[in-house]
Amino acid sequence: MKKIINDPESFVDEFVEGILLAHPDLVKTPGDDIRVLVRADAPLDGKVGIVTGGGSGHLPLFKGYVGKGLCSGVAIGNVFSSPSSDQIFQATKAVDGGAGVLYLYGNYGGDVFNFDLAVDLAELEDIHTKTVVGRDDVASQPNERKLDRRGVAGIFFAYKAAGAAAERGDSLEQVAEIAEDAVEHTATIGIGLAPTILPTTGKPSFELPAGEMEIGIGIHGEPGTRRGTLETADEIAEHLTSALVDDLELGEGSRVAVLVNGMGATPLEELYVLYRKTHKVLAERGIEIVKNYVGEYATSLEMAGASISILDLNDDRLELLNAPAQSPFFREG
Amino acid sequence: MKSKELNDHICRSLTILIESSDELRDLDQALGDGDLGITIAAGSRAVIAALEELPEDTTPTEIARTCAKAFANANPSTMAALVAGALLSGSRVWEGETDIGVEEAARFTKAAADSIAQRGKTQVGDKTILDGIAAASDALKAVTDPAEATEAAKAAAARAVRETTSLQSRRGRASWLQERSIGLADPGAAAFQRFVEAWEAAGVTIN
Repeated sequence: MKKIINDPESFVDEFVEGILLAHPDLVKTPGDDIRVLVRADAPLDGKVGIVTGGGSGHLPLFKGYVGKGLCSGVAIGNVFSSPSSDQIFQATKAVDGGAGVLYLYGNYGGDVFNFDLAVDLAELEDIHTKTVVGRDDVASQPNERKLDRRGVAGIFFAYKAAGAAAERGDSLEQVAEIAEDAVEHTATIGIGLAPTILPTTGKPSFELPAGEMEIGIGIHGEPGTRRGTLETADEIAEHLTSALVDDLELGEGSRVAVLVNGMGATPLEELYVLYRKTHKVLAERGIEIVKNYVGEYATSLEMAGASISILDLNDDRLELLNAPAQSPFFREG
Repeated sequence: MKSKELNDHICRSLTILIESSDELRDLDQALGDGDLGITIAAGSRAVIAALEELPEDTTPTEIARTCAKAFANANPSTMAALVAGALLSGSRVWEGETDIGVEEAARFTKAAADSIAQRGKTQVGDKTILDGIAAASDALKAVTDPAEATEAAKAAAARAVRETTSLQSRRGRASWLQERSIGLADPGAAAFQRFVEAWEAAGVTIN
């Protein structure tokens, strides 16, 4: 497998350096560790900071969502590995404007342990934190165990909502509540057509015979919860959308935001073919798409495939989605 | 045990503990991913280096916090994060203390066990490091004589590790092996046992 890299070991540091060189007006590194990025104007006095983090290999997740109206800082791990508690704590210190810091990240064991430890470290320096974890992947656990689901692309909605709330000056309690509310009303499901290749091993993460697809994939190059025959775009959209509508118990009159996300190697054209049918399936059920996002929002290196996320909207959530935001990879207003 | 003695004793204990890292790696390879050896070796070295930098009048609370931060950053594994969280919890019950005796050690160990239970969402009998720490915590509560304390904690930890052998792992990577985990001692609990043994071998009893 060919890759545009220098040394696999320096892959993460070098792409982060690239982001810093490309966007000095938006993000900066507050200390010596290039694995800690914060928005260029951090800390914001009197405003709640939002720190996210996780493994690399998911751009624009996680570091792509650091900016105005989004997250305030990020701790960056190796490819598909958690950042350290110290890196999370460094980000926390750099974004704390005195109003506390929200930890908002995806539900994965290593990330949870390290963020929890960072909570302790922050407490020792009197920085008040709250934690909300993204857990939107409906394929990873059934609805009755939804608290154990893993977090995937749908965390974008929680970033957008919580980031807008922090920007307008909400308290830590309010920002955490808004993040939790967004997580609770978001559902995602994805399919994979080709595996990921880790820079350090150079090997595919799984083998997939021609004519088959993985259903219920995560964002770490792992196989899905089951394997099935490759379907047409319309069949995929129909099946994925139905699973989300059922999980969120949407019905006639519901208003939603839809995110059709590419996993890294799937062309934008194919994502729009998916969006086309998703739009029609929802319209047939009397569900209105008020906002839509089509593109790469959370990837798994060069995995081929896509996920669909739905956020069940009310007026409050819609207002937060519409609020202005700007980061190296996302802009609203 | 005042600050200087506590600091020195931790350093001597960890130097001894490092000798067990290959054994712990092998034990962990059979049940998990084998990184426990490096977590213990790199973590212990980092703690020793950090403690050597501390001034003599550093409080026991600060000593425990220094251990936690150094251990967490050396090899940021799940075990390192759990142990560091446990040490930070323990550091809180030592606020204001200047002389660490059996009673303080018992409270520290209890706070550490509670932290691991809560953070790791685990309980005694799940075949984890908690089995060892909880047993030592109970043993320390039952003694007052400093000479007996280390011996009691060591015996309790050894018994707990033996008991994990017949259990099935219910947490962490080892739980994926399901019934295949029966018959092997838990590596986390074994690491704790080796730590208590190292503490005793490092010289004096707790006082």
